[in-house]
Amino acid sequence: MTSPTILRDSAVFEKFASPFKEFGPAGTFYIADRVFRRVSSGVTVHFYELMAQPLADKPLLPPRLGKNVVVREIQRDDPAVGLMGLTDEVLAFRFNQSTVCLGAFKKGTFIGSMWFCIGPYEEDEVRCTFVPQPESSGVFDFGLEVLPQHRLGVGFVALWDGANRYLRDRGYRYSFSRVSRFNLTSRRVHERFGWFCLGRALFVKLKRFQFMVATVAPYLHFSVSTNTRPTIRLRA
Amino acid sequence: MAGDLDEIRAFMTESLGCDSDIDPEIDLLETQVLDSFNIVEVAMFIQENFRIELDAEDITRENFARLSGMVALIEKYRAKEEA
Repeated sequence: MTSPTILRDSAVFEKFASPFKEFGPAGTFYIADRVFRRVSSGVTVHFYELMAQPLADKPLLPPRLGKNVVVREIQRDDPAVGLMGLTDEVLAFRFNQSTVCLGAFKKGTFIGSMWFCIGPYEEDEVRCTFVPQPESSGVFDFGLEVLPQHRLGVGFVALWDGANRYLRDRGYRYSFSRVSRFNLTSRRVHERFGWFCLGRALFVKLKRFQFMVATVAPYLHFSVSTNTRPTIRLRA
Repeated sequence: MAGDLDEIRAFMTESLGCDSDIDPEIDLLETQVLDSFNIVEVAMFIQENFRIELDAEDITRENFARLSGMVALIEKYRAKEEA
């Protein structure tokens, strides 16, 4: 048996090849990120798809399936905030921006939440500001989470139903977001909601250094200070 | 019953891109054929196609993890109507 044959047949080869089967050429970045994290080099790689999702003007759920779920705005002092599993730091970071938090409650029990930023959103996973354009018709959504014990059910769709109503009532027509290129589940779900891709952005971080290359302006950005960040304007 | 199974399979193939010969006993959640969104799509299809009024409480692992569970759910609602 020749060496290439061994390589081709081995489980090692399959493990190496599977990111490319799943993500295409972007599998390179997936592998790079996993390798960097494993060697604890402090380097992280984030590859995002920047999306626009039209807000549906019809309910996503038939009335009977969604009848026991209420979606409402959650303020900072709401008891449901303590059930989200977020640190005080993350909560402060979110509430201190121009955000709206919507919570889903099934027969009075908190089951999940999602967040919108009205105006520029300061991303916390990488140093970047996302600006929906025009600001009068778009918001930036993030942090959608349904509690594990409620994930098999209507919670996820009910949250989006409630969000669509809430935002359309206020004149918004699109919700923008960034989704990891490697999060296949999230991408699949967003496809069914009719999202479309506006561009892609790759971030490489090492301590305070950050490099960005993107298919949207400003295309390239390099920062050596935590005080500088690129601004990406998103327009549907 | 075989007809119900075939109709659900056909929907999952056409709308969700699933294989056309899904084993009725395969766990569709564990194998990630179904997720938290498309399970609701399947429930809505069952509701419309078989003319039954599902409740949110019907969307459980027991009823939707397998095709056999979905067929049993349809049968249960049919039996209720006939009673």
